[in-house]
Amino acid sequence: MFIVDDLFVSPFFSLLDILQTMALNEMYDTKSIRDDIKENQLLYEVGERSEEEHQQRKQELESQLEMAEQIQEQMRDRMEVKK
Amino acid sequence: MSENLYTYGIIKQQDLELDVEGVAGADRIYTVDYKTLSAVVSEIDTTDPERTDEDVEAHNTVLQEVLEYDGGHTVVPMSFGMAFKNERTLKGVLRGARRALRSTLNDIEGTVELGVKILAPADDAVPQDDVQATVTNQLADLSINETENDLFTDRLIVNKSYLVDRDKRDAFDSAIDDVEAEHDDLTIQYTGPWPPYNFVDIHIGAEQQQGG
Repeated sequence: MFIVDDLFVSPFFSLLDILQTMALNEMYDTKSIRDDIKENQLLYEVGERSEEEHQQRKQELESQLEMAEQIQEQMRDRMEVKK
Repeated sequence: MSENLYTYGIIKQQDLELDVEGVAGADRIYTVDYKTLSAVVSEIDTTDPERTDEDVEAHNTVLQEVLEYDGGHTVVPMSFGMAFKNERTLKGVLRGARRALRSTLNDIEGTVELGVKILAPADDAVPQDDVQATVTNQLADLSINETENDLFTDRLIVNKSYLVDRDKRDAFDSAIDDVEAEHDDLTIQYTGPWPPYNFVDIHIGAEQQQGG
């Protein structure tokens, strides 16, 4: 969280800032987490993942998604990086 | 008793009553008529139901029951969460969307939706393009229409929904059986019959839900 905080308080955006933001975007890529949630559900439905494994993974991914959405929301408010 | 009506889908006018659990624990599923249309509904406490896994499943179960009811119905499915303040509001919406609903009911008459997902083995590095092409060509020949869905994992080589005439259902089942027999390394998830979720495109304004 230190990286994110630093990024938000800095009034100037250097190349490093932009690279950091892009890295954060990748780290908190909500589409990728949603894909993992769908994959987890499918693997459970076809019997490749047990109920226990499925539930555990589902909880992990839902927590990740919640955090990623919050981070993305904060990043959208603070700066925009043109890709 | 709440006046709010949760709506699952629209069929051609017919009285229908189902003894199946609906969204938010509803135990009575019935129809509300507007001219030649009937909305399949149950009573609910809110116009903004929470989207829980259980309730999404209940929504789908009701629609599947309607689909199979009394020899089979054609149903325009509503997306999850369509709840109206009262019967008058619901009928107002049906009035506004009547033309689109009738046209859609005609377009999908006698059809069901079937879902096909094909997964490559977890440790398989071989491209499955040839299998993908063969299978999808075979299935396309037996269907009226198809939609390509998101390949949300690298292992998915097919993720499609097919609109299939009820008369072709057995042939479609056999084609899936053949694929399974020929490719025992692949995992096939074959689901349905569903109401044609992916083949109807009717938008009912959110503002109409709350008014009345």
